[in-house]
Amino acid sequence: MRLIARFARENKDNFEIIDVFEQEIKKTQIDKKNPSVKTITDIYPAAIWMERKIKDEFGINFEDSFDERPLIKHEKFPKNIYPMRKNFTQKNIEFSEFEPYQYEEVKGEGVFYVPVGPIHAGIIEPGHFQFSQAGEDMLHIEVRHFYKYRAIEKMCENKTPLEIKKIVERISGNESIAYQICFFDILHQASEIEQSETYKRKTAILLEMERIINHLNDLGFIPNDTGFSPALAFMSQLAEDARRVLAKVTGHRFGFGAINEEMNYDFKPVFEFLNYLEEKMNFFENWIIDIPSLWDRFDTTGTLTKEKAVKYGVVGVGARSSGIKIDRRDNEWYKLHGFEIQLGKKGEVSDRFLQRIKEIKNSIEIIRNCKINNENKKIEFNYFKDGEYYSFTESSIGELFMYINIKNGLIDRFYVRDPSHINWQAFHTCIYKDIIADFPLINKSFDLSYAGNDL
Amino acid sequence: MLRFWKERFKRGIVTENIEIDKELETLRKNLKDKIKKLFAGSLGIRMVDSGSCNACETECNALSNPYYDLERLGIHFVASPRHADVLFVSGVMTMNMYHHVWDAYNQVPNPKWVITLGDCTKDLGIFEKTYAIKGIDLKVDYHIPGCPPTPKDIIKGLIEFLEKIETESKN
Ligand code: SF4
Repeated sequence: MRLIARFARENKDNFEIIDVFEQEIKKTQIDKKNPSVKTITDIYPAAIWMERKIKDEFGINFEDSFDERPLIKHEKFPKNIYPMRKNFTQKNIEFSEFEPYQYEEVKGEGVFYVPVGPIHAGIIEPGHFQFSQAGEDMLHIEVRHFYKYRAIEKMCENKTPLEIKKIVERISGNESIAYQICFFDILHQASEIEQSETYKRKTAILLEMERIINHLNDLGFIPNDTGFSPALAFMSQLAEDARRVLAKVTGHRFGFGAINEEMNYDFKPVFEFLNYLEEKMNFFENWIIDIPSLWDRFDTTGTLTKEKAVKYGVVGVGARSSGIKIDRRDNEWYKLHGFEIQLGKKGEVSDRFLQRIKEIKNSIEIIRNCKINNENKKIEFNYFKDGEYYSFTESSIGELFMYINIKNGLIDRFYVRDPSHINWQAFHTCIYKDIIADFPLINKSFDLSYAGNDL
Repeated sequence: MLRFWKERFKRGIVTENIEIDKELETLRKNLKDKIKKLFAGSLGIRMVDSGSCNACETECNALSNPYYDLERLGIHFVASPRHADVLFVSGVMTMNMYHHVWDAYNQVPNPKWVITLGDCTKDLGIFEKTYAIKGIDLKVDYHIPGCPPTPKDIIKGLIEFLEKIETESKN
């Protein structure tokens, strides 16, 4: 059973832990006076961050947990407050005394530590990597995040569903469309409106465009991290072309606000772009396959074994390139529109690189099958029924999960599990045969989000 | 390899002379001179994300694609604040990034300038104040609005920033 998310919410009389598995949802009630529950990290290692986050935000204790360090509360963040509790309403808090964070470190003769970040050398989001090294060899790496923790979940509480639209669009800039699709799916559910065929096609086109743009960028950045910059020049141009097409159709280069009640778009520029894109992709593939020095670096690097990927519940490109069939598009509707699951074998950088080429080709196919007739019907959200709603979308990174609980017409709990939140945690399992200079390459081959993870 | 050269000739040069040529023709002509005069030919920018959604960074990365090719104007994104003249800051400035951003700022040698990028940096844009957000309290020399500002907006902003500091240096 794959664990998708573990999160908490506060009810009037108790706390509640919600465990979302692939096949079922489990709820556990917890006493408010002595909030404590058993850990599930012994079976699901990816629950570690989820539990540490709950502990920081709600003050719920996890019995027998092997890792009780604060997660979102960094060195100077006050430790004695539980900001996701309903009675916490402060908007300003003061820094507290510096409390050092205990990193996971491998000890031994000749072992030394390389801390990297939170601010990195390139134009990239902040996060911290702590390497335990023996010479060039990486022995262990601890990924530490939440530098960008903006408290989005709290920000969304006590607002009407439509009021949080603009926030949802901007949780993670590169996955904006995927986030909007999840959110609109919940709006549909809560208003008891069925999604029309045209709506489904339009959102599918936009989602595949977002995927194409991100994959194109990665196809440039991954070779660039081996020192092969012509690929970056080639791909960054193509990504820019694609982004301009998206802007031409939706009015925004990242598609912020692209999913809305009207969506009165002319998709012609997208369809015209596909032929050009296909031609360029064919050229790129032929060209890049012929560069042996690249594959010297890609092959056998950053291996995420299938076994480890399953253990951590890895999703998205990371999972599929290790041969695991997880893709939220793996359903009748998408298959009817040309979706075919793409899989790699060994979970190496090379698999993840090729995976993106295969996925772009499949996205082209899907868009081609989403013919849009001129019918345009505005969606009328007349009411949002109170209740709990769950939604999934396959973003360019992987499975995105969103949960919204509406109470008295307002949002009572908003929770998101970005695909990165799972995949970051599996990171340390795939570095063992590699040297520190391989790290940027491995990191880029996963291309995970910091903003979506930190929220 | 032959295939690559064929493609290269077919493609030619793609770098655009974007509208700044038309809109700001004189500025564009002076831009290189300005950087030459004010920054010895090369303006170093260190980008720091204080809690953004990453779209602002993605647009800064796009400045290096062949269409914009920012480096031709003598403007570089540098890897260390110590190599920088200007600190670019994006995002809402979270509690957890606050001290790190200030660290980076303090490492930029004098004289230095701060340019904020994107609506988040000014009044948090569409976001709201939460306990996890501090907000930017650096002395800001120039602000480039937009959510995110497009690569063109950023280039234009940089030109106007240079204009501004040139006038200031004359006074
Ligand atoms: S200004 Fe807009 S695009 Fe830039 S970081 Fe903020 S939300 Fe993202």
